[in-house]
Formats: sequence, C-alpha cells, structure tokens
Amino acid sequence: MNTPMSLAQLVSALRVLPGVGPKSALRMAYHLLQHDRSGAAQLAHALQHALDHLGHCQRCHTFSESPLCDICLDTSRDPQRLCIVEMPVDLLRLEESRCFNGFYFVLMGRLSPLDGIGPQELQLDRLQQRALDGVVQEVILATNYTAEGEATAHVISEMLRGHGLTVSRIARGMPVGGELEFTDPGTLAQAFYERRHLASS
Amino acid sequence: MKVEGQPAFVLHSQPYKETSLLLECLSRDYGRVALVARGARRPRAEIRGQVLPFVPLVLDWFGKSELRTLARVEWLGGVPQLSGLPLLSGFYLNELLLRLLARDDPHEAVFTAYQQAIIGLACGELGAVSLVLRRFELALLTGLGYAPNLSHQAGGVIPIEPEQQYCFIAGHGAEPLPLVLPVDIPETGYQCLVSGTTLLALAHDQLQQRWVVQEAKILLRTLLDAVLGAVPLASRRVLHAVHEPRTRVWPVMPA
Repeated sequence: MNTPMSLAQLVSALRVLPGVGPKSALRMAYHLLQHDRSGAAQLAHALQHALDHLGHCQRCHTFSESPLCDICLDTSRDPQRLCIVEMPVDLLRLEESRCFNGFYFVLMGRLSPLDGIGPQELQLDRLQQRALDGVVQEVILATNYTAEGEATAHVISEMLRGHGLTVSRIARGMPVGGELEFTDPGTLAQAFYERRHLASS
Repeated sequence: MKVEGQPAFVLHSQPYKETSLLLECLSRDYGRVALVARGARRPRAEIRGQVLPFVPLVLDWFGKSELRTLARVEWLGGVPQLSGLPLLSGFYLNELLLRLLARDDPHEAVFTAYQQAIIGLACGELGAVSLVLRRFELALLTGLGYAPNLSHQAGGVIPIEPEQQYCFIAGHGAEPLPLVLPVDIPETGYQCLVSGTTLLALAHDQLQQRWVVQEAKILLRTLLDAVLGAVPLASRRVLHAVHEPRTRVWPVMPA
C-alpha cells in the first residue's frame, strides 16, 4: 500500500527537526494523527503563530515579538556594558543569576572553524556596529568555555581591539561551593593554570 | 573488540542523540576513530570536562562497528587549554587530520608529531606558532607517504644548492630555474617558487629567518593543497579573516 501523500509530507516535514530520523518522524506523525489530533492542531497553530509574529530584536538579536525586546527597552539598565552570549538560553541563565545589569547581544551561534562557520556566517559586523555605538564602554564575552566558544571570544576580541573599549571574558575555574575532591581533572587543572594572585612578599 | 589504555586526542565533537557526544579522536595505535561518549551532555556529567580537544587523554573503548563506544577516559593533562591564535591554529591541525586521515588507519609518527605540535601551541611562545605548524605539516605529509625530497632535485641525484632558485612541483620535486623545458612534469598545477636555502632549512628543521619561514609556508601549503584537492580548508579561512588584516571581513570603523 502506498503511503497517503499528506502523511508522507508530514513525515518529511518532521524530519527537519534535529535528531529526528525517518523512524522517529513516522512515530511522531502516527501519534499526532491517531492519538492527539487536538495537540497536532495546537502544534500547527503555534508554529504558524511563531513564524508570523516572532522575529529578532533589532539591538540584541534575541527572539522578540516587537522590534525591540523587553530587556533592550528597559531604561534602568546600564547602557555602558554589553554582554555577548551564544544563544537566548544563555541570556536567560545570566538573567536568572542576577549578576549583570547591562545589555546583551545574542550571536545565535558560535564560530566553528571545522564546520565552516566563520565570522561572516555569524554576521559579526552587526555586533561590531552595536558595540561601537559610542555609548558602550565594556564588552563582556560570555560565550561557552568550549573550544568553539573560546574561538568565538578570541575572534570578537580581535575585532574590537583598538576601538577604545574594555573587552573582558567571564572567568573559568572551580565551581562555586565546589570541593577539589569532587571536581573533574580538566576543570581542576584549568583552575590551577588560571589561578589568581592574592599577595606577594 | 575492546581497546584499553590508548593514548589519544579528541579532534572534533558534536552532539549525538539526546545526551551523548560523537567524538572524532586521533589515537596512537588505531589512527582516527569515531567514539560515542554516552551521557556526556548530561548537566552533571563528569566526562564533559575531560573529552576536550587539544588535551592528551588515555581512552578505553569497545564495539565492532565503525562507531565505537567510549568506556573510560583518563586525563593525562600537563597542557593548558589553548586560546587565541594557538587555538585557531589547533583547529587548523585538526581539520588537516580529519581531511587527510582515513578512519582506522594508524600513523604513529603523525600522532607523535601532533602531540608535539599541541604542546608547542600550548606552552610555546606566540611567535613560534608558525614554526610549530610548519613542522607538523611536513611530518603529516611524510607520515602519509607524500614526503617531498628537500635535499635533492627531482630525480634524486643532484643535491640542492642554497644559492639556487627552484620551481617545486607537487608530486615531482624541485627543478632548478630557469626551467629547461620540456620537463616530464605531472599536470597537477600545484607548484611554487622556492630558494635552495629554504629547502635545506626545512630538510634540517632549521627555519630561522623570516623570509625562509614565509617561503616554507608557501611550499608546504602548495604540497598540502595538492593532497587536499579543490575543497578549501574552513579553518584556514577563519585564521585569515582574523589575523591577516588585508582580508578581514568586517569593515574597519572609526574608533
């Protein structure tokens, strides 16, 4: 028996999701059509709604329904400090930590030389325009401490060099409340290499 | 098959299924292997802080198919994490290995050269980065069987003279200039001009003067391009975009 056209279309549409192969896509399609038709309608509506209404904030580039996101509209924030993160989820984590009161810029990715994602693909020129608006004094690089995140931070710091800005990087080391006994060797070793100077004789 | 206590480096990692990582590793005795690190992306996975690129590790794995399962990681350490230009250069080394080494094809000499290159990048001076890269490029070409003859002209009889200029043709060798045509040259199209001084300096691992280092860079790039073929290296493009101002992709704005 041939698969009905609409079912085949749904299966191939579901395969655009990361980590979803043909079998998972078929399982999802059967579930939606057989067991949860209202859920399927809701999913279709939510997808369409998000596509129609969700864009990027003009200043920080995170997802936003208005031209400027809530954070960028907040006038109580410190406009002299700009924090750069890879993804919107990183921005949310920083907001939860309540450690930063400036503005953000979301890269929506990271540099990955082995995957062919370079400065051009990340559209770093847009970040440069934002950082050099004349108000920002300090740029804080809060990209991940993976090899790719480090490469991203390095490229951005090179890009912003010589423009009179302070460029800083979030620290790496022992977790807060961490005990040496239970820390993995990689973290411990790097904390040791990047130890802080406290006093000299 | 179970493999235990294998010295290795992670070359590249990418997310795999919900909580795992797919690692491309370079091992000493088994060459390039693909390993699944199960659960490595769980929030509190201890292994996550260990399966990092540019860090010497000892790995155990098992499995019969091309994709094996990582069983144990031992941190050898002794090398700080790369950052800045050495980090971008490290990506370049990894891309070369991913492009030129087939899976499960061991090259112990290449592994040793890579180990020395990583230590050189992590612990050496910033000015020595290009020497580290040149040494590794030559060792990689040699390990793969593409070693250029740097001490004799094509044909292997007449020694290279330091004062002489040569045209180095990939897959053929050095021909003295001016070229006496017709020479029996493979039509690869990969060739460059190089001085005898540079060829001998490279042969004896004595790259010192700036212009010699620059010539060696062009020679090795020509030889690597001949092996790599038409698809350019992505990491090289990023390196150029960042560190060679003439080719920078972002506009220079007034400060």
